[in-house]
Amino acid sequence: MVVAAHDVTRDYGEGDTIVQALRGVDLEIPPGQFTAVMGPSGSGKSTLMHILAGLDRPTTGSVSIDGQEITAMGDQQLTLLRRRHIGFIFQFFNLLPMLTAEENIVLPLRIAGRDAEPGWVDEVISKVGLSDRRTHRPAELSGGQQQRVAIARGLVTRPTVMFADEPTGNLDSTTSEEILALMREAVESYGQTTVMVTHDARASAMADRILFLADGLIVRDQGRAASEQDVLTAMSEVSGQ
Amino acid sequence: MILVALRGLWGRKTRAILTAISIVLGTAMIAGTFVLRDQITGAFDSIFQTGLEKTDVLASKRTAFTSNNGAQPGPLPASLIGTIAHVDGVAKAEGQIQAAGALVVKGKYAGSSSGAPSLVISSLSDTFNPYTFSAGHAPTASGEVVVNSKLADDKHLTVGQHVQLATAVGLEPVTIVGIFNLGTASSIGGATIVGTTFADAQQWYDRVDQTSTIAVKADPGVSQQQLKQRIIAAVPHFVKVQTGPEAAKEQANQVASGINDFLTPLLLAFAGATVFAGAFIIFNTFSITVAQRSREFALLRTIGASRRQVLRSVLIEALVIGLLASLSGIVVGIGFAKLLDTLFDRSGSGLPTSAITLKPLTIWLPLLVGTLIAMLAAIGPAFRATRVPPIAALREGAELPPSWMARHRGLLASLMGAVGLGLLVDGVFDKGGIVHALFGFGSTPSVLLSMAGGAILCFLAVAMLSSYVVQPLAEVIGVPLGLLIRLGDWIGTQIMRVPGLGRAWYVVRRVVSYVLAFLLFMLLGGIVCGILALISAPLALFGLLVSAALSIYAVFRIWRRTETEWPPERPSPLTSQLARENTARNPARTAVTSSSLMIGVALVVFVAVFVNGFKDSFLGALDNSITSDLIIQSDSFSPIPAEAVPTAQAVPDVQTAAGIQFTEAKINHGGIDTVNGIDPLDFPQLYKFDWQQGGSDALLGHFQGDQALIEEQFAKSHHLKIGQHFQVTSIEGNKLTLKVVGQYKDPVLMTGISIPTSTFSTWTTNSDPGVLLVKFKPGVNLDQGKAEVAAALKQFPVATVRTNAEYKQHTESQVNGFLTFLYVLLAMIGIISLVGIINTLALSVFERTREIGMLRAVGTTRRQLRRMVRYESVITSVIGGLIGVGVGLVFGWILTKGLSDQGIQFSVPVSFIIVVLIVAALAGVLAAILPARRAARLDVLEALQYE
Repeated sequence: MVVAAHDVTRDYGEGDTIVQALRGVDLEIPPGQFTAVMGPSGSGKSTLMHILAGLDRPTTGSVSIDGQEITAMGDQQLTLLRRRHIGFIFQFFNLLPMLTAEENIVLPLRIAGRDAEPGWVDEVISKVGLSDRRTHRPAELSGGQQQRVAIARGLVTRPTVMFADEPTGNLDSTTSEEILALMREAVESYGQTTVMVTHDARASAMADRILFLADGLIVRDQGRAASEQDVLTAMSEVSGQ
Repeated sequence: MILVALRGLWGRKTRAILTAISIVLGTAMIAGTFVLRDQITGAFDSIFQTGLEKTDVLASKRTAFTSNNGAQPGPLPASLIGTIAHVDGVAKAEGQIQAAGALVVKGKYAGSSSGAPSLVISSLSDTFNPYTFSAGHAPTASGEVVVNSKLADDKHLTVGQHVQLATAVGLEPVTIVGIFNLGTASSIGGATIVGTTFADAQQWYDRVDQTSTIAVKADPGVSQQQLKQRIIAAVPHFVKVQTGPEAAKEQANQVASGINDFLTPLLLAFAGATVFAGAFIIFNTFSITVAQRSREFALLRTIGASRRQVLRSVLIEALVIGLLASLSGIVVGIGFAKLLDTLFDRSGSGLPTSAITLKPLTIWLPLLVGTLIAMLAAIGPAFRATRVPPIAALREGAELPPSWMARHRGLLASLMGAVGLGLLVDGVFDKGGIVHALFGFGSTPSVLLSMAGGAILCFLAVAMLSSYVVQPLAEVIGVPLGLLIRLGDWIGTQIMRVPGLGRAWYVVRRVVSYVLAFLLFMLLGGIVCGILALISAPLALFGLLVSAALSIYAVFRIWRRTETEWPPERPSPLTSQLARENTARNPARTAVTSSSLMIGVALVVFVAVFVNGFKDSFLGALDNSITSDLIIQSDSFSPIPAEAVPTAQAVPDVQTAAGIQFTEAKINHGGIDTVNGIDPLDFPQLYKFDWQQGGSDALLGHFQGDQALIEEQFAKSHHLKIGQHFQVTSIEGNKLTLKVVGQYKDPVLMTGISIPTSTFSTWTTNSDPGVLLVKFKPGVNLDQGKAEVAAALKQFPVATVRTNAEYKQHTESQVNGFLTFLYVLLAMIGIISLVGIINTLALSVFERTREIGMLRAVGTTRRQLRRMVRYESVITSVIGGLIGVGVGLVFGWILTKGLSDQGIQFSVPVSFIIVVLIVAALAGVLAAILPARRAARLDVLEALQYE
């Protein structure tokens, strides 16, 4: 298992105003799987992702990445862990405006002081279709192109697991299709384990596995959905419970 | 809207306080200057009032002009005492002698060491005597003296002690019979005062049958004015007759203005520069916050606020900051005055200061300047805020269209720079002719106005233009910085390779950073305690303990909150690249941020170039012209008794000894200039003339009578040629018509004119030489010769014997002392620019919160992030440093060129500039501490979700 969570809870606040965002989540993600996490707002899906990625700490329970228990790690260890094992794709792309597309893509490698394997950067750039945009700055790129840069940035370190937080949330539907296809492609070609938080049924339909969260619990854990409509049906069943 | 503005300000307290500091320091300097000036004036007023308290009328020698360098008015005939005593209504008339001299205690000269005079004043009888004796009594018999209590304290003198007194005729044995205060003052501005009997003073100071002043007491019922008129009628015209209060006022003004005329403008100039540098911080902070708050302004506009209201809300913020800052500035200014006072006290030149009084000017001038500057600096950003369209409330990252100013910045700045440079050059080379023609000011204000205005315009232009060079400069600075970092990283990596050593190195680094943090906190506490120490020592000690406790607690807190950064990351050159990119990202912001440091550095470099130019020209002139082996001078600038010349000449190893006399004289009917008295036979062996216009050493062979040699500058300013006649009037009013026989060039040592000693001595009573030059016989060992001369001159302890090399060293150390004082004043600008960089960095970190979140999410460690902010800070400060060095050199070059006919030469102080740049870089490191820490501590999740 590349990601494993056991009995994870997360409380915010204390006393009367306590909010239980997660109420005991167990989860295992095998390598090469494309997992979508769905759920209405407030269901705890973002919190779950943050905890799995080592950005937030669970109140109780344990999380391991690539077999390493991360809940007891300090900031320095977590940071180094993120470098090696974790990639991110954000809703708002989060590119550095003063760097070119290529510089943004190799940023994680350079932060880690690592050299890319020969040809790998070129491979990733051509995979995301930005070979002719290498020297452009984010301001000169469309939203879709910016998200492609972000995906390439995530892939470039060959992370153990890639987390995507609403990757299509800020894109129009055509562009969203392209971006999702690209993420699927990464899973297929490189066996890139991916966990995607989304409330977009179309996005979930691309995943190998869909987790439904409601009120801080996993209420449904299913395999690949046959269609977007299936996801929506499942979603309404979950909400109806 | 006012409410919105005030609430907004309250919400950004820390920022507002940081911004305000830039105004506080400048206004504090203004207020402090006035407080100090009033204190000094007040103190001298009261000292001289006390001194002449019992004197109804004072008679003294009338002077032809007011001397700038201590030319004495000369004595009155003692017979006048009798004349005045017989005037109807005079109860008593008594002579008093003032001369230069001091005690010799256990073989050591006990004169003033600070440039204040060492005085011998004959004591008056009880009728007039203003002294209050803390021990003993007034001198009544020959050989008895009294001393002022500060002198007694400093040299541990007691009543009954046998000491010696340095007089014009050598050392005289005397006994201390009393220790006195002048009213409540223990000293007058650091001067030492020795009181003798009238007869002794006459004998010892070449005043037989003479007196310096005559104090007069009126009969009961006769007013001071009446008595004054009667005495005027009875004495010759050369006697100046004043009532006691008139004389006190005049004497106080003379002494106080001697200090204030120099100190006040100097301090105000530095205060002005500090305020000006502060304006950049205000402007920058407002620019950035207005940009960051454009959403807020847009929202206000959508709900109906007018442009005018938006404008007003920003200006109100500036007004409040300006007002509060200036008010705090006035309070800090009082402390600043105390600090300066203490500094002077410690350095030995204790200025007498009366209690602090706050005159209206001390309050309203800083208040006005501080508030106006804050508002002026905020006007640009305020107008920018009005141009935020309401639609920006709904769109993310709506960009403001560049303003007219921004679009034409290059042209505008070039124009300003050209005008500024023109004014500066005109001020230096043409005595401010343009300002004079435009506004009709006098010559000195025209020069000062041209130079100040020119400098301000140049600084503004450079600040505006420097945004164009930020990127290339960042690249240039980035290269050596990057190499330095790589070197450090390489060393770090090597250390990490050794098992165990890496961990140890990490621990050492951590411990060192905690120690540094502790020291930094203690430094802050120390500054506060230093101010407390002015009030009371136990309080300061208590404060020191408290700040030590607080510092330990603060470091403990930091230690608890800092997570371990082990294992370390591999070094990455990326941080320095990102820092460079960040600096160049908003070049205008970086340019303005670095500008206040630019101004500070420019002034430091300018001052260094200028003062060193003076020093070098002086030392160069010594090297070129002086051919003697010894240069003998008094350290308190008082003349050396004439008797010292034959004494030195009598030393067997001495070939030639000659004194040079200096005094001031009125030339024809106009200006005051220097007159030097030289011995035509001896002088050429000690000094090499740089002859012009037919002058020659042969000329000196028959140099006598009414002949005069004139210096090139003197010839120019008085339009004199060989063969022409002109008149000089001594301070006593003696007129002398001289004929120009030769011209030479020496704008440093022998300015004005030179006349034969014999003529000089009959023309003025200020005939004691100012400098004594001695040349040894061939083959005499320098040290041995010096020792012999020093031994011979022991009876004239005012004369300090130095070899040429020692004299040069002495001059250098004095100049360096003055430079240090100027640098301390300029350090205020340094503090302000530090605050400015902190402010901008903090705002930039805030602005880039989400970027920082992303960087952390993809694996940037806290240390890397801190490094990034630190490099950005260093690049910014070094940009300011580099541009400042350039501007300072240009300013220095212009001024030294302008003064080149006075012998000032331009030279680039290379090693000093390197030091300045290193200090600028360190300032960058210091400024980055807090913003970097803040960036590193941002919560990754919150930062990522930040909008």
